[in-house]
Amino acid sequence: MTLDTSTNQPGDAQSPFSGQKPEFPVTRPDYTQDAQALSKSARKRQRKNLAYGLGFLAPNILGFLAFTAIPLVIAMYMAFTNWDVGMHNNPERREPLRFVGLENFIRLIQMPQFWQYLGNTLFFMMGMPFSIAGSLFAAILLSKDLKGGSNRTWTILIAGAVLVASTLMLVAWGASGTAMAMLIAGLTGMILIGGTAGGTTVYRTLFYVPHFTAGVATYLLWKKLFVPDTGPIAAAVQPVLTSIEGVVRASPPAAVQSGFVICMLLGAALIFLGLGRLRRYWEDGEIGAAGVLLSAALLMVPVALVGRWYGFDLYAEDPATGSRSMDLGWGSIWLLGSTALILVYHILRALRADHEFVEKRQPWLGVGTGLMFAATVMVAVFVMIGLGPVFHNLPTWATTGDGLKTPAWLADVHWAKPSLMIMGFWGAIGSNNMLLYLAALTNVPQELYEAADIDGASRFQRFWSVTWPQLAPTTFFVVVMGVIGGLQGGFEMARVMTQGGPAGQTTTLAYFIYKEGFETGRLGFSSAVAWTLFLMVFVVTLFNWKFGNKYVND
Amino acid sequence: MSNIDPGPRLEQATQPSSVLPYGSELTSATVAETRRGKFVRSLTSTGMLHLLLTGMSLLMVLPFTWMVLTSLKPAGEVNDPDWFPSSFQWRNYLDVGDKDNPDPQRRGVDFGRFYWNSLFVAAWVTFLQVTTSAMAAFSFSRLQWPGRDKIFLMYLSTMMLPGLVMMIPNFQIMINLGWVNTFTGLIIPGAFSAFGTFLLRQFMLTIPSSIDEAAEIDGASKFRLFWDIILPLARPGLITLTIFTFMGNYNSFFWPLVMLRSEHKYTLPIGLMFFDSTRGQSTHLLMAAVTMSVIPMIILFVFLQKYLVRGIQLGAVKG
Repeated sequence: MTLDTSTNQPGDAQSPFSGQKPEFPVTRPDYTQDAQALSKSARKRQRKNLAYGLGFLAPNILGFLAFTAIPLVIAMYMAFTNWDVGMHNNPERREPLRFVGLENFIRLIQMPQFWQYLGNTLFFMMGMPFSIAGSLFAAILLSKDLKGGSNRTWTILIAGAVLVASTLMLVAWGASGTAMAMLIAGLTGMILIGGTAGGTTVYRTLFYVPHFTAGVATYLLWKKLFVPDTGPIAAAVQPVLTSIEGVVRASPPAAVQSGFVICMLLGAALIFLGLGRLRRYWEDGEIGAAGVLLSAALLMVPVALVGRWYGFDLYAEDPATGSRSMDLGWGSIWLLGSTALILVYHILRALRADHEFVEKRQPWLGVGTGLMFAATVMVAVFVMIGLGPVFHNLPTWATTGDGLKTPAWLADVHWAKPSLMIMGFWGAIGSNNMLLYLAALTNVPQELYEAADIDGASRFQRFWSVTWPQLAPTTFFVVVMGVIGGLQGGFEMARVMTQGGPAGQTTTLAYFIYKEGFETGRLGFSSAVAWTLFLMVFVVTLFNWKFGNKYVND
Repeated sequence: MSNIDPGPRLEQATQPSSVLPYGSELTSATVAETRRGKFVRSLTSTGMLHLLLTGMSLLMVLPFTWMVLTSLKPAGEVNDPDWFPSSFQWRNYLDVGDKDNPDPQRRGVDFGRFYWNSLFVAAWVTFLQVTTSAMAAFSFSRLQWPGRDKIFLMYLSTMMLPGLVMMIPNFQIMINLGWVNTFTGLIIPGAFSAFGTFLLRQFMLTIPSSIDEAAEIDGASKFRLFWDIILPLARPGLITLTIFTFMGNYNSFFWPLVMLRSEHKYTLPIGLMFFDSTRGQSTHLLMAAVTMSVIPMIILFVFLQKYLVRGIQLGAVKG
């Protein structure tokens, strides 16, 4: 087994064992032979081997049994009982445990909070594409060779000149006092000098520190950064909002509101392009029928949710002006209708097209590719649909009340989740994903880039047709691990920063399990939630096993 | 549709490419020109690269800058928009640990104690976990015994389980053992790790097996093989696991939160949260405490990142 990640493709379920085969080719067949056939000394040696093997394993396996295997059995049992700390751990009321069958699970499914918390968990995972893109971007920047020999002095000089110029600009602009400008300029200068002298290592270290230190300490730091009105984030965002407010007030409302139409058009165009690309994948035989259907279904998610988005309280906040007006309703009908038309168009074209691959191909081919592509488009559509109503309501918000004000961040029902996602993004850019991408980038064959250069590929084309496909296995691994981690995540943030509030907006499944198990004391119910969570993780893992290998081998 | 006109493609291929002027005459003037152009282009692109990277680094660093500057502010300036304190209050760092200060704005918590508790627990867990994991990894990678791979597969499959599933029954076990609110209850369950075993096994598999055979011919026992040969060769792996485990436990939150009841046993993360919930208004002191708990991690990372990066890239193979 080599340390080289390129030969051990991430996501390959077999990889933990693949390294063994060449290592012990001679001794292994011994065990498959009949014991009778073995000579006496060989049998003795085998017994000795077993004794040694178990002897070295003993300390670990005892702990493993005591704190993993036995709890696992108890947890399984717990989930089907009504174990409650108040009833069964109370010495005065030693009631017998009752076996309740699937009652816990049924109650869970009927519980509206469970669906809300599941939705919260999934919502937090929507930040993943952004942070993965950030990690990839950082890794690409870091993979460039920055030790440019004699160029270094020049770089320092140019950087210094830019630095001085930008400082002067900041001072002239009067960015809330010279102290702040000096601070930023000083920091920039320090980082630049460190970076030009030490190369990529310095930047990589700085990128990785937020992820490495993530924990209660940095969560408390961000809790203070997010203090409403007086906190540094509010203080930094407020001037931006004020200037936007000025622009909006100066321009006619209809001009601003046309942004809504543009967003809707862009959303529909994205769906059109996405479906077209999927259809071409299918016609080229790169992806099977099941892959197309699953990916297309994923693309439809934002459209299906569009009614809910407009039903969102955010846009009905002002009953006096009635900001959730008719054309928003028309907007959703319009988007739904156009999507339906696009869908019909593509289905008809796919049916009419004359293609030879279609019959021979397996339906599950290339599911990973399709889903990843659809997820990327889906996020873009979500952003468009989310931005639309903002444009629509901007004139109303800017002219009524106090104008545009920063939200209360963690204390605001609508902003609590995005605030935590902003913090997550900060920590996730330089995370392990960046390191994995960095390792994968060094393994991209240089010939491919040379070939692309000879073909006259632009920088953008180089990325899309060489780098991105070559990184696909890493991306797949990163996404699967991110989903598995995301399903179980959010406990520390919720406990330290928000207590799961406001109104349960930041309660994830993990925090829900903690609350039920350790605060309310309903151990049976809490175990049932934990096993439900396990089931979801398990489905993702199965998906990884089934399609990860195929995808990587494509 | 079989007779597609191949014309345009061929034409395109035979056209002189504008990117690579193969056909053009290479005079010394054009060579100098392209060289200078290349130099300028590489210079500006390196400069741009540095500026981009610096901009991103700045975003990473700014929250920490605010943290340090706020930790040095006098109590009255905590809510000022200005980041700089009017005078640097270095004694804030002493006040954090002074829980008997009569001035409520200066009153801290038993911070030194929390620090010590954290280091104590993390050191013990790390020592025990690295020991048990190394032994198990040796058994899984260098010894041949029947059923080995089945048991290893069982270990691996438990890594997939969400830790939360086991937390609830484990806590009941702790209650029955009487280990709630003790350091034993923090240390012993953390001493065994499937992940550590897996990571060290991966490292040990990279050691060539001819070494074992040579040692066996020389008459070395399995213990000598483990202690004198494999352990020294697996040192990078051991260091990686040591850092992972130590940092993980230094930062560990869930289990101490559940287990610890009395204030003098709090570890650092629990202590920080306790500080926030009892003296949350003293932002300057809180930030001093946060700084003191973050800075050692940053220093450790800067010096040991070589091992960490390797461990992360190797650990990703687990699939």
